[in-house]
Formats: sequence, C-alpha cells, structure tokens
Amino acid sequence: MALVFRLLLIIVSILTTLYMLRKIRQAKLQIEYAIFWLIFAGLLIIFSIFPWIVNIFTNLIGMQAPVNFIFLFVIFILLMKLFLVTIELSQLEYKVKELAQKMAIEEKLKRDEEKENCIK
Amino acid sequence: MKVLLIIPAYNEEKSIVKVIDNLKENYPQYEYVIINDGSMDHTSYICHKNKYDILDLPVNLGLAGAFQTGLKYAYVCGYDYAMQFDADGQHKPEFIEAMIKEMQKGYDIVIGSRFVEKKRPFTLRMLGSFLISVATRMSTGKKIKDPTSGMRLFNAKMIAEFALNLNYGPEPDTISYLLKQGATISEVQVEMDERQEGESYLNISRSMMYMLRMLLSILFIQNFRKRDRVRKSNKSYMEGEVK
Repeated sequence: MALVFRLLLIIVSILTTLYMLRKIRQAKLQIEYAIFWLIFAGLLIIFSIFPWIVNIFTNLIGMQAPVNFIFLFVIFILLMKLFLVTIELSQLEYKVKELAQKMAIEEKLKRDEEKENCIK
Repeated sequence: MKVLLIIPAYNEEKSIVKVIDNLKENYPQYEYVIINDGSMDHTSYICHKNKYDILDLPVNLGLAGAFQTGLKYAYVCGYDYAMQFDADGQHKPEFIEAMIKEMQKGYDIVIGSRFVEKKRPFTLRMLGSFLISVATRMSTGKKIKDPTSGMRLFNAKMIAEFALNLNYGPEPDTISYLLKQGATISEVQVEMDERQEGESYLNISRSMMYMLRMLLSILFIQNFRKRDRVRKSNKSYMEGEVK
C-alpha cells in the first residue's frame, strides 16, 4: 500500500473517532452505537500501521493488490452494518407505531369513559 | 426515609409472585414498583390481578430503559433512595437494610457486592467481572470488587442524574465514569441466589460483545465525557413532559 493511502486511512480514522467522542461528550450519541465506529476506525489504523497483516489476507484470497483487500473489507463491513441498521430501523418503526396507537386508543377510551359519566 | 425498589420485569411470570409476596409480607417498610418491560407472557396480568404496584411499558425498552423508567418515577415522586432489584429472585431483600445503613454514611451509590469478604470464584463469568474490575482500577484508581452486581442503591442526587441523562445505563462503565467524576461508592457484602427461572440474557457471543463494550467504554470512551449537572427540578421535569 502506498504511504499516502495509509496516511489518509489513519487521518480519516482519527477524525471519525474524534467526531464520535465529541458527540458522546455532547450527550447526543449512545455509547452502544459509537462502539462499532471506534472498532472500525481502530482496525483501519492497525491495517495502515502494519500493512503485512493486509498482505497475509490479500494472498489468502488470491488478490492482486493489498489495497483491493482494504476496499473489499470496508464494503463488506459497511454492507453488514447497513443490513443490521435496516433491521433496527424496522423494529424502531414498529415500536413507534405501537406507541402512537396505544396512546391514541387509551386517550379515546378515557374520553369515552368521561362521556358515559356525563350521560349518567 | 423513602426507599423505592425498582423491579424491571421482562417475561417473569414464573418468579414475580414469589419475589413480590416475599417483599410485601416480610419487608413492608420498602416501597416497590415493577416495571413491566413490554412482557409477552402474563407478567402484567398476574401483577394487576394481585394488585401489585406496576408500571407497564407499552414496548420493550431493554433493561437500561426499563430501569431508567423506574428512576424517573422515583425522581418525580421525590424518593430519597432507589434501588435496582431483580424480578427473578436473584437478589435477597434481607441485605437491603445493611445497604441503606451504609448509604447513610454519606455515599452516592452502594453496591450489594458478592466479593467484599468472600473471594471471587474462578469461572468464565467471573473472569469478565475480574477484567472489568481491573479496567475500573486502571481508569479510576479505585477498587470495585463486584462491578457487575445489579444490586445497586442510589441516593437522590444519583436518581436525578440517572433519570435525566443519556449514557447512564445501570452498567459498570457508568459506575466507573461516576467514580472518576468524584462520586462516592461503597460496597456491602451480600449473597445472591442463582437464577431460579428463565434463562440468562447473556450467552457466549453476547457476553463477548458485552465485555468488549464495557472494556472499550471504561478504558477509552469514558475519559472524554463531560458531566452535566442536573439543573431541572422534578416539578419542571413533569411539566416539560406534559407540554
């Protein structure tokens, strides 16, 4: 891997980490959600500092250039993450729907009760 | 001295009656509230039928969200102390009094600890507990012998802080963070029962993820957090929510 590429990876990873930490500091991000990005950034930094690790994997799958392995790795991890986020989003939407419906029905029942009391 | 036991319950129909009846019969001096975390079984039905104090969450929030609901309730009602208490019979109420006595010496948090006088056994689960202890020690310089114990007693100041803030889950990393910020924490020797009913939330892969999260959080992330003091009064909190 070219030195510039490695430096770029390191810089971007550090910036990502700093951004996540700032969001946690501002109490705008839950730690559970930051963990993934911190580990991801950490892995990219390790790959940049020790390129021989990348070379091992590159040879293992029979790729030409180590940089291709980095691309494959990043795309794979991000796809997985996107997949998991989609599942989470779906569950979240279900919960919001459930909440709204429950609140609306409860409020309606309360009003029905009051109305009945009025008639009596 | 108003003490509230917060009992998060998710699908605990088999054990809840035993736990609550024991509390009501033998320890009527403590108030309690069950937080039904969107259970799929008959937990809620059984509690309502037996006229237990229960708060029903319409959706499942997980342990942290359920416990925080209890703390918000304690905060709004102005309790002096609040404590997390398991619905599965793991925690024993006979140790609460000793914890409250320790609290009255002026601590912010008192942990019901299994390993103050006794030694930690060598099992895989305890290896995790040990690693978290070591991480806490490295990060704060202070010793917590049983960081994963769920039996924790909080004073009014901590109730407010836990109730109103993000990233205040009832987990060892929050404890480590608060220690670092100058909160005073003590431990009291207690005994715990093994889980009687239901299966543990933690399996192997979840345990690994949990450990990774805790260690990364304690050793790295918590160093960068800023502590926001609570400024809102409990009255303005409720009004703010209603509007």
